[in-house]
Amino acid sequence: MRQALHIFKKDARHLWIEIAVTLLVVAAFTFTCARRAFWLADPAVNRSVASMLLSFLLPLAWWILIARLVHAEALPGDRQFWTTRPYAGKSLLAAKTLFLAVFVNLPLLAAHIVILLAYGFNPLAELPGLLWSQVLITAVLVLPIAALSALTTGFVQLLITGSVLCLALVAWNIGMPSAGLDAGWRALEWIRSYYEIAVLALAALAILVWQYARRRTAAARWLAVAAVVLMALDVLIPWTAAFALQSRLSKQPIDPASLRIDFDSAKQWAARALIEKGDRVWIEIPITIAGIPAGMSPRYDGAIMAIEASDGSTWPADQQPWSHVTSRNRLLSLQATVDSGFYRKVKDQQVTFRGAMCLTLYGHERVANVPFQATPVAVPGGGLCAATPGAGKMNYYLVCNYAFLDPQGPPTYSPFPAGLALDPVNSHVVYRASLYYPFAPFTAATVETSEPLTHLRRDFEISGLRLSDFEVRQKVP
Amino acid sequence: MSDILRTVDLSKRFRQNVALDRMNMDVPEGSIYGLVGPNGAGKTTTIKLLMNLYEPTAGRAEVFGHDSRRLSPRDFAQIGYVSENQEMPEWMTVEYFMTYLKPFYPSWDDARAAELLRQFDLPPGRKLRHLSHGMRRKAALASSLAYRPRLIVLDEPFTGLDALVRDELIEGVLGNAEGATILISSHDLAEIESFASHIGYLDRGRLQFSEEMASLTERFREIELTIAAPSPLPAPWPAAWVNAEQSAAVVRFVDTEFQQDRTTAEIRRLFGDVRQIAVNPMPLRAIFVTLAKAGRKAA
Repeated sequence: MRQALHIFKKDARHLWIEIAVTLLVVAAFTFTCARRAFWLADPAVNRSVASMLLSFLLPLAWWILIARLVHAEALPGDRQFWTTRPYAGKSLLAAKTLFLAVFVNLPLLAAHIVILLAYGFNPLAELPGLLWSQVLITAVLVLPIAALSALTTGFVQLLITGSVLCLALVAWNIGMPSAGLDAGWRALEWIRSYYEIAVLALAALAILVWQYARRRTAAARWLAVAAVVLMALDVLIPWTAAFALQSRLSKQPIDPASLRIDFDSAKQWAARALIEKGDRVWIEIPITIAGIPAGMSPRYDGAIMAIEASDGSTWPADQQPWSHVTSRNRLLSLQATVDSGFYRKVKDQQVTFRGAMCLTLYGHERVANVPFQATPVAVPGGGLCAATPGAGKMNYYLVCNYAFLDPQGPPTYSPFPAGLALDPVNSHVVYRASLYYPFAPFTAATVETSEPLTHLRRDFEISGLRLSDFEVRQKVP
Repeated sequence: MSDILRTVDLSKRFRQNVALDRMNMDVPEGSIYGLVGPNGAGKTTTIKLLMNLYEPTAGRAEVFGHDSRRLSPRDFAQIGYVSENQEMPEWMTVEYFMTYLKPFYPSWDDARAAELLRQFDLPPGRKLRHLSHGMRRKAALASSLAYRPRLIVLDEPFTGLDALVRDELIEGVLGNAEGATILISSHDLAEIESFASHIGYLDRGRLQFSEEMASLTERFREIELTIAAPSPLPAPWPAAWVNAEQSAAVVRFVDTEFQQDRTTAEIRRLFGDVRQIAVNPMPLRAIFVTLAKAGRKAA
C-alpha cells in the first residue's frame, strides 16, 4: 500500500494540469446542471448549449486524464524505465485505481449530490441511484479507456485504436440486420445494453488485471478483440429469451393461464387480408384479451405467430415466426405479412393462428395533484413536480424532475436504480397556454403514474377463420 | 563462484527471425562479463530476456537462480539496469527522479546518491527532458547505482557518447560497483577490453564462446610464417586456423586454439621447412574482427 500511495502522489504531481482541467469541467457541469433546477423561476438559467457542450467535454477530460495516467507507466513495450524497477504490479494497479477514484469518481459523486440538492432531492434517499450511476459510468466511460490505454504506448496509438474499434462496431451495427421480433426491443432494450456493458466492463477489468500482473500485451489485445466480437454479437440475442428473462423479474407474477386471447368477433370489420403490390399479403385480425386482473392495464411488447391451414400448409414454414401486435383506438390486432403464393393456396381453407403474445401488465396506478405554487411536490415514482401559472396566468408549466430514472421518458423495464447518464436529474416540462384554455384558470396539475408489475407470455390459438372473407385489394393509383 | 546469470538453451524468435538460438551462458558472481558481437547479433535480446522484458520462445534464463519470467520486485531491487534507448520520466527533475526512486529500494544510500550526482555533474533541478543524451545516461546510471545493486546490467551503455562521457561513465560504474556482478553488452570491444573479466561473443544469435578474458587472449594468436618456397596452402587446413592469407612465401593466419608447442609442431608438419615463425598476441578488437570475418566466410 505504501508503494501504491507513493506512485499515486507522483501521478498527482505529474498530472496536476489534467486534474485541474477535469475538476474545472466537473465544476462547470455541476453549476450548469444545478442552475437548471431554477429554470421555472428564471428561464434564463437554462443554458442548454453549455450543458450539452459540458456533457461532451466531461468524458473527454476524463479520457485524457485516464490515458495520461495509464501511459505514465506504459505497459506495452520494453523501453520504459519502470519495467526494470521494483514496481509491484498490484501496487501500480492500486495506485491507478486510487487515482481514478479520487479524481474521477469522487468529484462526479460530489457533483451529483450538489445537483440533487439543488433540485430538492435528498441524496441519502437517492443513494442506490448515486452508487449505481457511479458503477455504470465507471464501466462504460472509465474502464474501457483505461484498458485501451493499457494496450497502447501513447495517446496517438490510443486514438487510432479507439477509432478503429468504434468504426468496426458502427459498421457491424449498420451491416447486421436486426434479428428477432420486428416488434423492436424498446422497453427490453436495457437487457441488450446491460449485456454490452457487462462484456465491456468485464473485458476491460480482465485486460487491466492481466496487463498489470503480467504485461503480456499480445494476449491482452486478443482479449480486447474477443470482447468487441462478443459485444457485436448482441444482435443475436433472441428477443423471446430477453422477454423470458424479463418475466422472471416480474414484481407481481401472475399465472398466464388466467388470460384468454380470442378473435374479436365484435370488431370483425377490422379483419383484413390486404393484397399488396408485389408478392406480399398483409393480414390483420382483431383480437381480444380477457382475464386481465382489475387495476392492471396491458402494454403489448410483441407476439410470435404462425398461420396453419387445414391442408397442413404453414406460414412461416421454417423461420422464426414473428408478427406485430398493435393497439390503437381500442382496437387490438395481430398483423403479419405472408407470401402471396401461400395466401392463394390457403385463403379458402379454415386457418388457425397459433402463437404467443408477450405483454406487460401495469398497475399501482396513482394520481398526484400538483398545485400551482413554487414548492415542488413529491409524486409517486420518486419525482418532484412543480407547477406555475407563469406571468399573468397566461402560460402554465408543469416541471417534473426524477433522480437517475426517467418514468416519463421512453419506457424501460430495467430493474436498476439508475441509467447511464451524466446528469442525475431527468426533467420533463408540460406547457399549456391559457389562450387555448380561456374558460377558467388552472388550479392544479395532475400527475398519473403506474409501474410494470408483471411480464408474461400467453400462448393462443385462434381457429376457424377463412382469409378470403377478409380480402381487400389495394387500390392502384 | 556461483552463477548470478544463467541461460539454458535460451531461444527467441520474432516471427520467422531467430534472434537467439539455444544460448547457454553463465555469468559468475563478481565478474564483469562483456557480451560482445556485431550489431544485430542478439545482445540486446539476451539482456531483455534476462530482464523479463521479452518472453523466451524456448529454453530459460535465470537471474539470482530464479526463472527470469518470475523476477519479483525484490529481485529488481538488487538490479541496476541501464540501456541505450531507455525511456525516462522526462517531466521529472534529476533530484525528484532520485527522490521518487528511493522508496523502491531498501538499500538506497542517500550519501552515495548525492555523491553520484556530484561525480556525474548532474544538475539536480533540471528536468530529464532538458538533459543532453550523455547527461540523461548518467542520470540513469546514477539512479541505478545509488542502492548498491548486486547485479548491474548495462545494454550498450556507451553508444553515441563522446569519449569523455564514456570514460566518466566507466569510472562511475567501476568506482561504485564493489562486489557487484556486471553484465555489459557492446559492439565496441575497446570499451570493454580494459575492464571485462569474462567475455561472451555472440554472432547471429549464437554464442560462439564464453570464457574468461585471460584465457581468451591467451588462445588467440596471429601467426606469420615465412616458408622456403611459395606453394598452395596445405590441405586439410586445421579448423582452428582462420582467416588464412598467403602472399608469395609469407602465410598469415589466426590460431584460435593457440598452444606454443602444439601449434609449432602442427606448422612444421604441414609446411615442412619453415624459415621463420612469428607469433603475435592479439588485442580484443583484432580477435573480434577475426571472428566476425571467419563467421562471414563460414556463412
